[in-house]
Amino acid sequence: MHPTGSSKRNDEERRLAMFSDVRSMTEQSSDYTTDAYALEAQGLTKRYGDLVAVDDLTLQIKKGEIFGFLGPNGAGKTTAIKMMVGLLSPTGGVVLINGQDRARVPKRSIGICPQELVLWEELTCAENLIVMGDMYDLPRTVTNERVRSLLADLALSEKANVRVSQLSGGMKRRLNVALAVIHNPDIVVLDEPSAGLDPQSRLLLWDFVRSLKNKEGKTIILTTHAMEEADALSDRIAIIDHGKLLQFDTPGNLKKTIGSGDIIEMQLADREKNEAVMADLKAVNGILEINEASGKITIRALNAVSLLPEIIERVDATRTRVSDISIRENTLEDVFIYLTGRGLRE
Amino acid sequence: MTVKFLSLAIKALKQTIRDRRSLFFLLLFPVVFMVIFAFAFGSPSSLGTGTAPHEIAVINLDQGATVSTNNTTQHINDGASFTQLLENITYAQTDTHMFNLNNVSADQAQTMLKGRALDAVITIPENFSQAVISLANASARAETTSDIGLRVINGSTAQLPVNTTLPKQSNVTAQVIVEGDTGSSTFGVAQGLIFNILEQYRSQIQATAIRQVDATLAQNQSQSNASIDYISAAVQPLTGTRSLTLFDYQAPGLIVFALLMQVSSVAQDLTRESDRGTLGRLKLSNMRSFDLLFGTLLTWIIIAVAQILLLLGVAVALGFEWSGGANSIGLAVLVGIIGGIASISLGLLLAAFTTNERQAAQLGVLIAVPVSFLTGAFFPLPNEILGTAFGTTFQVYDLLPWTQVADALRQILIYGSGFGAVAVYVGFAIVLTAILFVVGVISYSRVRLRPE
Repeated sequence: MHPTGSSKRNDEERRLAMFSDVRSMTEQSSDYTTDAYALEAQGLTKRYGDLVAVDDLTLQIKKGEIFGFLGPNGAGKTTAIKMMVGLLSPTGGVVLINGQDRARVPKRSIGICPQELVLWEELTCAENLIVMGDMYDLPRTVTNERVRSLLADLALSEKANVRVSQLSGGMKRRLNVALAVIHNPDIVVLDEPSAGLDPQSRLLLWDFVRSLKNKEGKTIILTTHAMEEADALSDRIAIIDHGKLLQFDTPGNLKKTIGSGDIIEMQLADREKNEAVMADLKAVNGILEINEASGKITIRALNAVSLLPEIIERVDATRTRVSDISIRENTLEDVFIYLTGRGLRE
Repeated sequence: MTVKFLSLAIKALKQTIRDRRSLFFLLLFPVVFMVIFAFAFGSPSSLGTGTAPHEIAVINLDQGATVSTNNTTQHINDGASFTQLLENITYAQTDTHMFNLNNVSADQAQTMLKGRALDAVITIPENFSQAVISLANASARAETTSDIGLRVINGSTAQLPVNTTLPKQSNVTAQVIVEGDTGSSTFGVAQGLIFNILEQYRSQIQATAIRQVDATLAQNQSQSNASIDYISAAVQPLTGTRSLTLFDYQAPGLIVFALLMQVSSVAQDLTRESDRGTLGRLKLSNMRSFDLLFGTLLTWIIIAVAQILLLLGVAVALGFEWSGGANSIGLAVLVGIIGGIASISLGLLLAAFTTNERQAAQLGVLIAVPVSFLTGAFFPLPNEILGTAFGTTFQVYDLLPWTQVADALRQILIYGSGFGAVAVYVGFAIVLTAILFVVGVISYSRVRLRPE
């Protein structure tokens, strides 16, 4: 069935209204003063039959910010990004790049580092980069200079003439990032850039991503499952699930406003008593949420330190004892789990 | 700034050269075939005989003759009778005909002979009927006069019976030409059969004449024989050839087989690009469809040229009788490139619809190998004539561009033919390849180069 002219208009009004709300929300929560957006998605939708992979997604990404895009597996992140960069045709909605329709924007404005390693294994590192430089019509002298500096920044200079098939996984991952920026794009999309990297490589990559923003003023869209990475790098974070935008704010604000309080993690000497203890602790004033994962009880509470004596007392009353206990601040992961739940998606 | 299609072509060439497996598949695999075929079919006695009909054409130039008997005049054509005999004759104790006569012109017969669509071409000379009459008359005269000698020996009067006249003496001779590739064992067998049948035909003429004389003179049959060889047969080697072997026929076909192997490699290569996501990366860049398609074309044309030169070199080293010098190599490479483009086009078509590298490779081989047989790359195929155009007989297999390329390569490399002689093959190969190319490019562009 096709929507009538009136219902179409209503849809459009609703979409613009939501767009306006989200814009207002993000502007208030941001530390930025600029109102120039590098990328805007308006009512972005992708349907595969009955499945709605991305559902009316509207968000704005400011120029020069690192935008974290979080969501569980299958939440619609990669589909949304593919539509934003033009690899996938949306079922509905529009994407604006620097205020212009994406289709009219030069392709060199965007660089994408896909989640998978997308490399020509039989070519050397330098050859991979040169091919992509050629594809973006860069003069060979510029390409050569970019190849040199990118390989240096990503600690791959010594591997310039080594075939990709002979590189380690971490090196391939870094080259994958270099290929996304060989043409010096304004917007860089990094889809799980640090997956499978060792801590040293991860820190090197983080420095590189920060330098893209700080030294070159690039806008970076970062999708990751590593909450620590999103927290460390992102200026603002959007969390989506089931194709819908759930929250969009700075990491600090998200941690303050969603899932407020501190986290007490406690392990009992007798795990069989976990359920009884959890049932008893629900009656304690100030405990906001209580869960069990891998035999460990997680309590989110306001003023958690002052509640500790009562919690331990109630555990003792159930004829067991606390074998391990710790208290920490709310993390982005807690926010993420709070918003998206604990259920597996795949 | 580097031209994008050149950059992509260089990239693909490097990938192919550095991937030893694909290099083996592309270059050495056909070479292995070439070596095996050279050993198996490199000698003239390499084909079996069997009792299958031999494909022949009879060019009957016989003008016929007028004979008068008992005040009646009759025009006869013994060439037509002999042709009929060839058509009707069967192998002993079977219904299988010895020959399958192809109704074609002399020029068409030559072309078919060169393409091994025919085993032999028999040319009956224009005075064949006259020679038959000469043979019959000579036999009759000999039989008639032989009786006079007997009468002398027996003391009788050496006279012809009353009302007996000797047939006129006319020493007309005719030579039936049996043309074919003297190195081909199928020709050898066909030629032997034809000679035998002609000998029997000649004996039958003599026997008939003698029987008629004996019936008239009421005498016993003597052992008289005509002293002149009125009807003879001679073998004429196929123009422009020496003693060819089946391998000489197969070597150009194996080059086409190698070109057909490109179908699998091209499909695999392009599917790998989309499978590994590198095509997606390229699509995000300023690369146009033209750059990818033309770059791919350029890469595989270079590989096709390398294949042709390598295989030709190996074939010559293994005893392939190559004619025409450097010009024929140049022309063969150009014709081979058309075959290469046809393979690339089919590869594009496969790459549009295969979902992964393995599927592309398997499907490519599944198509390329049977098509190689259908193009007659390995063995001559039975005649399945569709029709005649431009003075050439077209068969079902001719709808494949590679068949045209294989036929053209044989003409060029075996017989040293120039462009003029293969223009029809090349023309059809270009048209068929262009159709396949358009279909391949449209399919690949629509399925793979547009946003999902």
